[in-house]
Amino acid sequence: MDQIFSMQLLIAALVLSSIYVLVALGLNLVYGTMRLLNVAHGELMMIGGYVAYWAFALTGTGALVSMFAAVALTAGLGGAFYLAVFRPLSRRAALAARLEQNSMIIFFGVSIVIQNLMSLAFAADPRSYDYLDTLIDLGGGRVELNRLVILGVGTAVTLACVGFFRFHRLGLAARALIQNRDAAALIGIDADRINLMVFCLGFGLAGLAGALVSMTEEITPFGGFPYTIAAFIVIILGGLGNLAGGILGGILLAFIEIYGAALTSSAYRSILIYGVFIAILSLRPQGLMGRRLA
Amino acid sequence: MKPAFRTIAALALAAAWAVPGLAADPVRIGVGIARTGPIAPAAAPQLQAYELWVDQVNAAGGLDVKGEKRPVELVVYDDQSNFANEAGIYEKLITDDKVDLLLSPHSTPAHFAIVGVLERYGFPVVGSTAASVQLKELEPGNIWFPTSAFADTMAPEFAKLLKAQGVKTVGLAMQQSPFPQEVAKYFRPALEEAGIEIVADEEYAMSAKDLTSVVSAIKAAQPDAAVILDLPPDGVLYMRAAREQGLDVPYQFMLLGPSADFFKKMFGPALDGMMTIGHWTPYKAEWPRAMPFFEAYTARFGEEPDYLDVALSWMSVEILQQAVAQAGLDHDALREAISSMTFDTINGPVRFEGVENVETPVMFLQIQDGKTQVVWPEAEASAPVAKISAPAD
Repeated sequence: MDQIFSMQLLIAALVLSSIYVLVALGLNLVYGTMRLLNVAHGELMMIGGYVAYWAFALTGTGALVSMFAAVALTAGLGGAFYLAVFRPLSRRAALAARLEQNSMIIFFGVSIVIQNLMSLAFAADPRSYDYLDTLIDLGGGRVELNRLVILGVGTAVTLACVGFFRFHRLGLAARALIQNRDAAALIGIDADRINLMVFCLGFGLAGLAGALVSMTEEITPFGGFPYTIAAFIVIILGGLGNLAGGILGGILLAFIEIYGAALTSSAYRSILIYGVFIAILSLRPQGLMGRRLA
Repeated sequence: MKPAFRTIAALALAAAWAVPGLAADPVRIGVGIARTGPIAPAAAPQLQAYELWVDQVNAAGGLDVKGEKRPVELVVYDDQSNFANEAGIYEKLITDDKVDLLLSPHSTPAHFAIVGVLERYGFPVVGSTAASVQLKELEPGNIWFPTSAFADTMAPEFAKLLKAQGVKTVGLAMQQSPFPQEVAKYFRPALEEAGIEIVADEEYAMSAKDLTSVVSAIKAAQPDAAVILDLPPDGVLYMRAAREQGLDVPYQFMLLGPSADFFKKMFGPALDGMMTIGHWTPYKAEWPRAMPFFEAYTARFGEEPDYLDVALSWMSVEILQQAVAQAGLDHDALREAISSMTFDTINGPVRFEGVENVETPVMFLQIQDGKTQVVWPEAEASAPVAKISAPAD
């Protein structure tokens, strides 16, 4: 029982929370503003992971630096993808009406293409590197520096995003778009510009998460899928399109996983997570912080 | 000038076409393996081993088919990480592509999947990355297993290894997937029989993303040895949690993680002292083929060969190559040759009785100063078992 109150367990839960929150944030943004289900989110993470891996393998540059390149590349991909695929689709009334459903199929295709391109380009075997693995004492617990960096950067970026969407003009415009697309357009918000920004930001956040996670996990072309699933659980739990809900969902998922395992057994991980997931959705189908008429 | 140039060019082209025509027909070798999907990362090193072998054979003038040198051509199909595709792929390779030889797929379930097809067509295949007691008990007639890492024979030997180090208590953790579960099924009674008490017995889900509480439970039990029955991705989670909690256990064993190259690259010196299953090392002087293979693989792919999967895949092609040199491509002759010959491999001599390799004893590996050594049994060891002196940090 001592274990439950240990700093070690709290650190583990916080680190995992920061990963889930960060991964879900990008997915939530794209869904919130455009109602697009990006099932290729995990693959974008892996692209970020490969950027960090190659930067380290070829030049010795660590993820703290290469994460900027990972963000730039994936954000660029997001922008290009929006301009090349989704903008033309959303401009045709007949297609735009079905875009939410179709987006899942489109992104599913994208995810397969990315997986296989990465597999062809880099071979599928797992890649890893040893970076920032010094152990840091933290009030009774110990943590590898790379995991502390994930916690720090993840929290900072999440807070920055929250601040941006709360206080910045563009962020407020995006939230207006999330809340009501038609009304936002009526008051003169340039939906096209906001969409482009959100695509870049959403994809870039996935790239960032991938670069960070590459410090502690192996990178493979097919390693993104579990994160896509986790991110979907998080945003559905929190309320689709609701950023604060996504943050709450990510923290909840990680704490259930860590403390649930400690209280029962790690063998019950999936039962615990999906049990709570189903229980919450049966009580609040719109998610923890979702609006009833989203 | 121009017509002359054309004539020369035409002659050159004709010559270029004619040369392969004069050479012997290639021996076509088929394999179904995961190139995409979740198994692909684990299967990639095996396919790399096959590709390296094909290139080496061709560079050396071709495959010796009963005295005739013929070039080798690999026909690869992606099973998309779906074992249900495997039987169909091997049937297509046999009946449609009409390949001369087959190489084995990746992992035990894939081997399981093709046994029926091989029996139906009487097509002999040297297995590689499969080590299931259940599969062995099927006693198939057209597939052989070079590995000695079967759970039933490993278990008593593992207990002996621990006992010889004075281990009296063990903390066990097992991932809930077929291979770790099969190993646990045999390890638990073998440890008890040897008088070794299991003082912590943890299981964790395949999808686990953190093993802090599993390591805490082992740490609290203060065992003499930690035995982690992992697959490589969750082995990473164990390593991190053990480092962070300063797990002070002098003997630590992981099932599969430490034999993968990425694992060493991720943990470096922190992996020193970790034991794992496997029966191959490049550092054993009695196996002269081992180090040249290790060097060729490392130079070509920029990573060490996996000490289980790649070593076994390479052994499987060495066995096939030597059998074909003696028996040719006829299936019956080849089956007879594989069943009866003694083969010279990177892992020393290999000879099959039934489906099992009876020459290679059960062994265990340990990483020492970054090198993966055979440490058990003592008669086979390239280095003695070393104790982990302090928590790795």
